[in-house]
Amino acid sequence: MKRDRRLRGLFELVTDVVEHGSRAVEQVHKATAARPFDILAQIPPLAAPSALVRIVHDASVSGVYGSIRLVNKLVAVAGGVGFDLAESQSGKDPGDAPARPVPRAKG
Amino acid sequence: MGEKTELAIAVLNGAVGDYLARRRNGLATELCLVHEGEVLALERAALERALPSASGTVVVFVHGLMCTETIWDFADGSGDYGERLARARGVTPLRLRYNSGLSIPDSGHALDDWLTRLVQVYPAPIEELVLVGYSMGGLVVRAACHTARVGGHAWLERVQRCFYVGTPHRGAPLERAGRVLAKLLGSIDDPYTRLVAELANLRSSGVKDLGDADLRHEDRARRAPVLHLEDAAHPVPLLPELRHYLIAGSLSSEPRLASLFGDALVPVPSGTFAGQADLPLPPAHVKVFHGMSHLALAHHPDVYAALLAFWDGVAPAAGDEPAKVAP
Repeated sequence: MKRDRRLRGLFELVTDVVEHGSRAVEQVHKATAARPFDILAQIPPLAAPSALVRIVHDASVSGVYGSIRLVNKLVAVAGGVGFDLAESQSGKDPGDAPARPVPRAKG
Repeated sequence: MGEKTELAIAVLNGAVGDYLARRRNGLATELCLVHEGEVLALERAALERALPSASGTVVVFVHGLMCTETIWDFADGSGDYGERLARARGVTPLRLRYNSGLSIPDSGHALDDWLTRLVQVYPAPIEELVLVGYSMGGLVVRAACHTARVGGHAWLERVQRCFYVGTPHRGAPLERAGRVLAKLLGSIDDPYTRLVAELANLRSSGVKDLGDADLRHEDRARRAPVLHLEDAAHPVPLLPELRHYLIAGSLSSEPRLASLFGDALVPVPSGTFAGQADLPLPPAHVKVFHGMSHLALAHHPDVYAALLAFWDGVAPAAGDEPAKVAP
């Protein structure tokens, strides 16, 4: 029981780290990329095209990190269902163990 | 689970235990009694089974940051302070485990609740309750006593003596330095240093409370924005109705170094609560070990000898004079 609870806790901690870690790295990524873009924006002939490139860049960065978080959320949900199933099959009430609300398995 | 796993979880709890508790993560440790390596439910039947010859004198051991109750074990496997006290003085030792990442006031509340329950379900009448805290555990003991006194909780009437081993009564300068460093890094306009500052600020409330030995939530308001190597006066005194015994370590016997670095984590003035005018401690209640590190204090034969001397109400042995340190 304790082991199951801890395994679930470890799983949730890893997904938390991916969630928060990806946000932190995304911020650093965008802040670092902003520097050359800010410089280019000061040069009139390059300002307009660099602004366009910046929009595309930021969108793609957001897309990449966002997709990482989306997959992470899916893994978190699937893992939660898996833990619930495993607990119910071992004859325990899943309500005892979940550390956080996760979707219950149907049936 | 294995001892190493428990230790890893204890370190994790010490580092981010408040976050784990907030998220109701299964890795968050709840304050519990550990008997012979297993968690023991705080119920009369369980205690009767585990402690068939329960004594009326109960000694509760509270560990420090990022460790478990095994910190008390002697390196040679010859038991711990509690076992030796049980053999020598017939007491019943109880070792606690808790989430050291929770704020010290919250851990104090949890200990207060636990002791309230212990008095109710303990299989024999408790004549005396003795509290022994190591490092942060000593502050948790003090926070629990403060909570019990404010709340008028009955268990406190059974406490006459508290022992503190390597407890930073006036805070830990390393944490205060870390706090200032994190603030400095956060103020630099650079994404990488800000990220490092954010990571540093993830450290638990328990760690942050160590900086100034915050025993109450409201004590955090007095945190200084700049680094002070010397400890501030503490707003919560040792309870005057109890007898307090303090043991500190120092890697150096040179007074200035002992004042600054102490046992590497706790400066001697902090470990001995020096310079607190409201409750001057008798010199016979304070013991400083020179050449002893912070970790060694929790499981050293000389420290046990001092505990036993304190227990019997005799002055520490020759050569055990408290160090002369700058307050």
